[in-house]
Formats: sequence, structure tokens, C-alpha cells
Amino acid sequence: MDYAVETIDLTKVFSDWWGRNKIYAVDDLNLKVNYNEVYGLLGPNGSGKTTTLKMLLNLLYPTKGKTILLGASSSDPKISARIGYMPEESYLYRYLNARETLNFYGSLFKLPSKIRKMRTESLLDMVGLKAVANRPVGTFSKGMARRIGLAQALINDPELLILDEPTTGLDPMGTRQMKDLVLKLAKRGKTILLCSHLLADVEDICDRISILYDGQIQTEGKVKDLLRQTNKKQITTGNLSDTAIQKIKQLVEKENAECSISSPVEKLETFFIKTVITARKQRKVTSGAVADSENAIADFLVEEQKEELKRAEILDKLVSTDVSTEQKAEPAKAEEAVKMEKTLVADRELLENLTKLPDTSTAQPTHAKQKAEPVETDTISAGEQAKNLLDQLTGEKESQNDEQQKKGNPDKDSEK
Amino acid sequence: MSRIWAVAKNTIRQAVRLKTVAFLVLALLVVLLLMGENASGDGTLKGRLQTFVSYSFSLTSLVLSVFTIGLIVYSLTNDIKQKQIFTVLTKPIRRSQLLLGKLLGVFILDFILLAIFSFTIYAIAELTPRFINTSKQELNRAKNEFFTARMKLTPQKVDVSEKVRKMYQEMKKSGKLQQKFPNMSQEAIIRILTWRQEQWTRAVAPGQELIWEFQNVKPLEDAQSLFLKYKYDVSVNPADLKVTGAWFVGDLRQIQYGAKVQTPVHEFARKELIRTYYEEEVPSNVVADDGYLAVGFLSPPLNITTILFPEDYLQLLYKADTFTANFIRASLLILFRLTLLACLGIFAASFLSFPVALLLCLAVFTTAHLSGFVMEALDPATHDVGLFYSYTIKPLIHLMPQFDKFSPVKFIIPAQLITWKFLAEAFAMLVCIKSFLLIILSLCIFRFREVAKVVT
Ligand SMILES: Nc1ncnc2c1ncn2[C@@H]1O[C@H](COP(=O)(O)OP(=O)(O)O)[C@@H](O)[C@H]1O
Ligand SMILES: [Mg+2]
Repeated sequence: MDYAVETIDLTKVFSDWWGRNKIYAVDDLNLKVNYNEVYGLLGPNGSGKTTTLKMLLNLLYPTKGKTILLGASSSDPKISARIGYMPEESYLYRYLNARETLNFYGSLFKLPSKIRKMRTESLLDMVGLKAVANRPVGTFSKGMARRIGLAQALINDPELLILDEPTTGLDPMGTRQMKDLVLKLAKRGKTILLCSHLLADVEDICDRISILYDGQIQTEGKVKDLLRQTNKKQITTGNLSDTAIQKIKQLVEKENAECSISSPVEKLETFFIKTVITARKQRKVTSGAVADSENAIADFLVEEQKEELKRAEILDKLVSTDVSTEQKAEPAKAEEAVKMEKTLVADRELLENLTKLPDTSTAQPTHAKQKAEPVETDTISAGEQAKNLLDQLTGEKESQNDEQQKKGNPDKDSEK
Repeated sequence: MSRIWAVAKNTIRQAVRLKTVAFLVLALLVVLLLMGENASGDGTLKGRLQTFVSYSFSLTSLVLSVFTIGLIVYSLTNDIKQKQIFTVLTKPIRRSQLLLGKLLGVFILDFILLAIFSFTIYAIAELTPRFINTSKQELNRAKNEFFTARMKLTPQKVDVSEKVRKMYQEMKKSGKLQQKFPNMSQEAIIRILTWRQEQWTRAVAPGQELIWEFQNVKPLEDAQSLFLKYKYDVSVNPADLKVTGAWFVGDLRQIQYGAKVQTPVHEFARKELIRTYYEEEVPSNVVADDGYLAVGFLSPPLNITTILFPEDYLQLLYKADTFTANFIRASLLILFRLTLLACLGIFAASFLSFPVALLLCLAVFTTAHLSGFVMEALDPATHDVGLFYSYTIKPLIHLMPQFDKFSPVKFIIPAQLITWKFLAEAFAMLVCIKSFLLIILSLCIFRFREVAKVVT
């Protein structure tokens, strides 16, 4: 059997210079992560999660045992070219700005500069840092730096994504987005190995988890299996009259089961996001991360490589033509897009604030308000608009409406 | 290569964004300008130029050396300490590429900075004569003795080892050894004998003559003169401390073999002080077409003492290249030095933390300037210490960079030509051998380094 990640008797002993004070940070660990699986490594602080990941990535060498990533060692550049890694904190070059940072990491992958530029822009868009892309990352807040850390891990569209405590330091919107991203990538066939001690996050997204303590696996299994309480059932309904409630109570009592009825409490996460969006309607400029396109996952992550190249060419063409001709060129398609838009469910209203589609009737691009650089506004907005159009045509952004359903009922199996 | 280049660019950015480069350039340029304006030397134009170039070149070299060491050590150790290396090394880049990228970045910076500073020094030196009032004579002297690149030829040493060996054997057989050199080791005796015999090859009794021959004398087209520099010493001091000498410079083959005289022979005779250097200007047309030139010396019978030429007694100097070309080669010598220092820095940083690595580099840097001195002082004195010395300290000292040997100032001040051969030797020693060794060593060490391990 082939695994995406496999460790064999992996052991790491830390000792001081004299070889005394031995700490077994990781102890005979046998980890097996299948391809196309979201695997969560849980455990309290100091249980050896980070140490394990570092050994997987050759930042630490095992005292004993070995690691296999995608069928080989990660010291092989061919393998590491297919891996994305986000460390537990974003360790960035403080003197580079956000765009330069991504460009630098992209160049380590030998990405052609055209693709590198495009991915940089869409990742910046995705993590909501486009407006501050020209600021040195040294001035970023922790959460903003984390976002760059995430973007940096995704620049090569990795097959295997290794995330060390991905949600710490992120605001709820960022957390939500991170979780959506993981699910979406998994849907596309990627493998994700993450470690965390934030149980709520893991619960939402992981297929399988293992709980680590003292460098050893204590339990391992599917999340659903581990958590399902087979002796309880839950029913969710619309608003009911008191009489109906009484009837149900009687019915349940006849079955000799316990029963408690109350209004469900909204998740704090959902509530928070709502509040922020309302606030944003009033104030449009923030010096922090912009969540404007929060849930728009970078295009190249959700489409095939060929399409990306094609898109690069199309965008090139579009950017070189001016706005009006570009609009004339595709009026039919634009109309189609508007039609599609109308068919979308009403739930979507909430999200429209996040990702407002370009209004094709006006030449004014929606993203203009983010642009700090006045020189580029015209050309980029043309491309931007085109990109959004393309998004619609390929139906990519449709997935955003899943958002609402997921919040209510995170039934992620239907997602996959 | 593109990965190495990406790292190099990032390193350059780091240096530039940290404002170190801007500060360095500004500060050094200001200092150079001030020096150019205030240098005085011995009051002559030549002295002033020499002082300025000597100080400014040394300062530039020192500042860039420290900058190089500091930058490269900081760049690597900081990446490890601040953990940026986590995200870099997990990308498809080999560790060797990371190190080479850093080196390349620092090298490019060094190259640019050195070009700026060298050019400034050159420009100031070239402009100085125009901005100060000097006599025609001083200008001429500066032109002949500073704004030039003179080849320096010295007579070949006569090999006396065979003769000394025979002498030693004879003395040993006849039993005179113990009588003449009581309680001395064979080595010491041979050293004394050699020194004596060598001195005899430079001795001229009254009425005798000595001829030195030089091949490949190739003055530059526009050079009108050669310079003969000489110094006398004697076995017995004359009362006025002066001796008389007659000199002949030219193709003496013509005279010896009675052929037709084609090139002129420059002759002069003078009574001059002993133990003092004299310089004679000789027209350059005395050189034979094939580059042959002989210098003949005749000690007239009226000298009462044997003339013993000391070591370094005779030099033939001529303009062999332009000042500009020589200056560029001098700058290249500094660039080699900086390259070696960068490699030293990367080596130290590959296994040490910032302060320790910095200290190590600075220690080596300092010793490197003294290596010649240390070697001279230790080599003969410790002949008897034997094995321990030869296998530990000696190779270590020889491994040191030997910056004093390849010091550019040593050439620029006396306007001495830096030959391509010398430059190649410096390149081979500093870059090909020592830098290369350091790089290989650091790559090996760094390969096995656990970069995520906290160094306490
Ligand atoms: N470089 C190191 N030297 C010594 N001990 C270390 C080192 N790195 C980690 N440890 C120890 O290893 C254990 C596991 O650490 P870590 O893997 O970072 O935990 P976590 O599960 O919180 O990520 C801890 O006890 C920690 O103190
Ligand atoms: Mg950790």
C-alpha cells in the first residue's frame, strides 16, 4: 500500500551537549496518511507534533527510523516541489513586501514569471492582502503574516500540504477560510496533513485524526467514528408551535427516551462574520487584512494546469486591450453570467458583500477601491474584471454558496 | 541556477533594505573625498598621491572586508535564527544552492561597491594634479613614479648550494668543521656558509667588474626611460663613506663579441655614499630588440675597498603598463580577498551562531594580515621544535589567507607592475584553492546540520 506520508519507527531524542537530559520528543511513531485525505495530528503542547513535521521536511534528522513523503524523501527537490508547508509561525523576510515575498518563493520553484505573477496576485487576493501588498511584511500583524505564510505554502499548487497549527493567529474569517480551503483542496484530490490543538477546527475538516501524547500515538481513527454517539439522535426543524412540541415530547416519551427541546444557538463564528460584514458596509477602508474576497479561493488551486496556462494567455490579451473593447468582445457571455447570477439561491445575499461580482453594466470595476497604486488601476481592473467573468463562466465561484450550507450543517461528506 | 540567483537577489535586497549599503557608500565616499583633499604626505605631489592612495585603498579594503564578513555571517545565521530557512529549505532548493546563492549575492554587492570606491579613488588621484599648484618637475616625477606601472627586475640569485655542500664535505673530512663552527648543527653551519657564499657572488674587488643580464625587458611604447636603482655596501668603510662606480647599461653582447654597435650603451660614473639608494634614469633605447639588457659595473682601482652589494642592491625599473590597468588589477586583488572572506564567512556561519562566527572570521582576518610576519618569525626560529610545529601550527599558518603577500597597496605605492602572472597566482591561491576548500567544507557541514535545532 502506498501512502502520501509514512513514518517508520520515527524517533527523535533531544539531549544536551553531553548527551544527558534525554527528551523523547517523538517516540517510535508510525504514521500513515493516505492519498487524498485530510489527516489531523492532535495533541497538547509539547507532544511532538511540530517535531514530527520538521522531521518529515528534513529540518530535523530522526534519531531513529525514517520518513517517506510521496514515495521518497523530501530532501529530493523533485518531491519538495510537490509539497507545501506552513510552519507554526510565519517566518518571513521582514524587509520584503508581501508581493516580493510570494515572488521570491515562487522563483524557488522555477515557476515561469508569467505564472508566478498570476499566482502571486490571485493568492494575495485570496488571503485578502492585496491592498497591503506593497508593505514590508515586517509591519504585518501576526494574523496577516500567517496569511502570507499560507499563500507561500500554496504557490506551487502542492499535492501534499503540511500545515502546522493552521488556524492559530487567524481571525474567525481567516479560520473559516482556512477550513474551506482545506476542504476544497481535499475535494480536488490533494492530501493534507495538519497538526493542531484547536479541536473545533480539526473536527470540522479532518477525515482521520490521531491523538499524540508524549511523542506516541494514543488513538487513531476516523473522526466520525470516534465522535459518533450512537445512543443519541438529533432532530432539527423549522419553527414549531407549542402544541406540536408537546406532541413530539409525548411521542418521544412513549419510546422511553429522554428529550429536551430548545432553540438552537447560532454559532459564534457565524455571528461574528455577520457582524464584521455589516461593519464593513459602513467603513470601506481598513489597514488590516481585507476579507473582501475572503472566500474566493485562488483560481489556480481549483483548476487544471492547462487551464491556468490558457488563462494566462487570455489575461495577457485582455490586459493589453482596453476596457471598452474587452467589454464589447464578450457581451453575450457577460449576459449569460448575469443570468446565472440570478438563478443563485437567496442565501447568497450575505456573501455578496464578500465577493461582489463585477457589474457589467458599468465600466467601474468593483475592485478599484482596493487599489492603492493609481497607475496600474486601469490595466489591472480590466484583467481583474475579466478574471471575475471567467470565474463565472467556469462556474468556480458558484462554490461560494456552499458556504452558507456548510455553516449550518457541516456535512462535509456531501462536499467530497 | 535560477534558484541560486533568486537567493542571491534576496541577499542583495536584504543588504540594501537594511540601509547598510547606503550608509556604507555614503560614509566611505565622504571619507575618501576628505582624504583626497587633505592628504599631504611629504609635501610633494608624488608623496601626496602616495599617501592618499595608500590610506584610501587600505581603508576601502578594510571596510569592505568587515562588511563582507558581517553581511554573509548575518545573512545565514539570521535566516536560521529567525527560521526563515524553514520555508526556504522546504522548497525545491538544495542546501548547497542556498549557500551558493548567498555567496553570489555578497559577491555581486562587493563587486559593485568595490567598483564604486575604486573608481572614486582613481578619479581623485587623477584629478589631484589639476587642482593643486605644482612645478613642472613635480608633475613629471608623479608621472614617472606614480602614474605608471613599472616592472621591477632584480638580478637572479646565484645558486650556491652545490658549492656549499662540497665545502661542507671537505671541511668535515679535514676535521676543520669542529674547529671553525664549534657545537653547531649541520643545518646552522650550512646556513652560514650559504649566506657567505651568496655574498661573495655580489662582491667586486677594486679593478674588477660584474655583469647582470636581464631577458624580456619590454618597456611600454611611450616609455622614454628606464630606471636603475642601486645601493652599495663595503667590507671596510672608506673615510668619507663614499665609493666610486662606473656603470654600463645596454646590450653588452655587442661589445663583448666585437659586433657592430646597434643600440646605444648608457654609461655613467660617480662617487656616491654607501648604504643609500640611488636612481639613474636611462633612455629606453638601450634595450636590444629581443628584450635583452645587461647592466655592467666596474669598480675602479682607486677604490680602496671591496664593494659588497647588499641584498636588494639592484633594481631595474621600467614602465610596463599604464596606471589605469595596474589600478584595475590592484582592485581585482581586493576582490579576490573579499571572495575569500565571503567563503570564510559562509564556512563559519554553516556551523556557528552569529557572534561566534563573526569572531572567528575577524580573528582569521587579522592573522591573515600578519601571516607573512608570523611565518618569517616562526619558520627559522622553530627549526628545532620539530615535529609538533611542522604538523600543527605551520600548516595552519600556511592555510591562512596571506593577505599581506597579495596586498595591492604594496604595488600601487611604488607604482610597481602587478603582472598577470602574479594576479593569476593570487587568484589560484585565494580563490581557486582556499575559497574552494572553504566552500566544499561548508557544504559538507551544512548538509548535515539540523537547521531546526536550537543552538544554545
Ligand atoms: N531543539 C530542541 N531541543 C530540545 N528539546 C526540544 C527541541 N525542540 C522541541 N523540543 C522538545 O520536544 C517536545 C516536543 O515539541 P514540539 O514538537 O514542538 O511540540 P508540539 O506538539 O507542541 O508541536 C517538547 O517537549 C519540546 O520541549
Ligand atoms: Mg507545535
